[in-house]
Amino acid sequence: MNPQLSWYLALSAVLFTIGAAGVLIKRNVISMFMCIELMLNAVNLTFVAFSSFFADVTGQLFVFIVMTVAAAEAAVGLGIIITVFRNRESLNVDEANILKL
Amino acid sequence: MTGLIFILFAGMAIGCAVSVVVQRHPLYGAMSLVGVFISLAGLYVTLAAPFIAAVQVIVYAGAIMVLVVFVIMLLNVEQEERRRTRLPFLVGAAVALAGVLFAEAAFMIYFVQASPATPRDNVSDVGQTFSIGTGLFTSYLLPFEITSLLLLMAIVGAMTLARTGGLLSARAGVVPGAQVLAPDVLDSEPAAGAQPIVTNTTDEAACVLGIDGVRRSADND
Repeated sequence: MNPQLSWYLALSAVLFTIGAAGVLIKRNVISMFMCIELMLNAVNLTFVAFSSFFADVTGQLFVFIVMTVAAAEAAVGLGIIITVFRNRESLNVDEANILKL
Repeated sequence: MTGLIFILFAGMAIGCAVSVVVQRHPLYGAMSLVGVFISLAGLYVTLAAPFIAAVQVIVYAGAIMVLVVFVIMLLNVEQEERRRTRLPFLVGAAVALAGVLFAEAAFMIYFVQASPATPRDNVSDVGQTFSIGTGLFTSYLLPFEITSLLLLMAIVGAMTLARTGGLLSARAGVVPGAQVLAPDVLDSEPAAGAQPIVTNTTDEAACVLGIDGVRRSADND
């Protein structure tokens, strides 16, 4: 039996949900960052599935651009993480609260 | 056959994704995330998108995860300690709401008619590098250029964030046409009352400065 489009969409939804739950549950900022990457990948799977099933290349172009944005996000995000760690000696997001009123 | 491959890769992806969330040490989570990326690349191959699959492995599993692992190693991240659950009565409510959400999803999957779309046969060139390049450099040239600008901004931003202090340290002086030097290096004026001594050989200079010439030559051996 060949996989249907809905199979890919369901898998993507599951992966996105796991990633979102991880962002809410995790306290370590690097773990949260990795869960965000997981969510981006779930959306990429949706793009590629639609692109393949409707024989339209646009979805794959968007995946390409999303990957570029993810690489930029990784570079800047990890720079921010290093700066926060240098200032607060901790990666716990609950301790980075100087913007809190 | 394709269904079996889908189930294999989908199971691997979900298992590794759960492992990303469950693992307490970020390094194990990063390794599980590499597993998710590679199984997604396998799924892209079954979807006839070989270029995206290759880029997924090279950029995500290669470049980005190496960066993340590098930062984890650099910062010497310790294991996340187990926290006491705040508001324990909300756990039951969360489980109930998750059940409702799952029931809704099952309802939709059961009652909504399945999409009639079927994958095209393999002669389609949608996933090939050729068609992606053509689309990227004709109809989607503007997003491509915006992406390059974004990457430039990311490079500058990451450099600015990761370095200590400002762009130039306050003590630094700039000599036009030369490299950046600290002012005490630039300061060529002798200290008050000191007379410059002219020496012609290295040994003479060492003698004036009080460096032991014998030990210096022994070190050179």
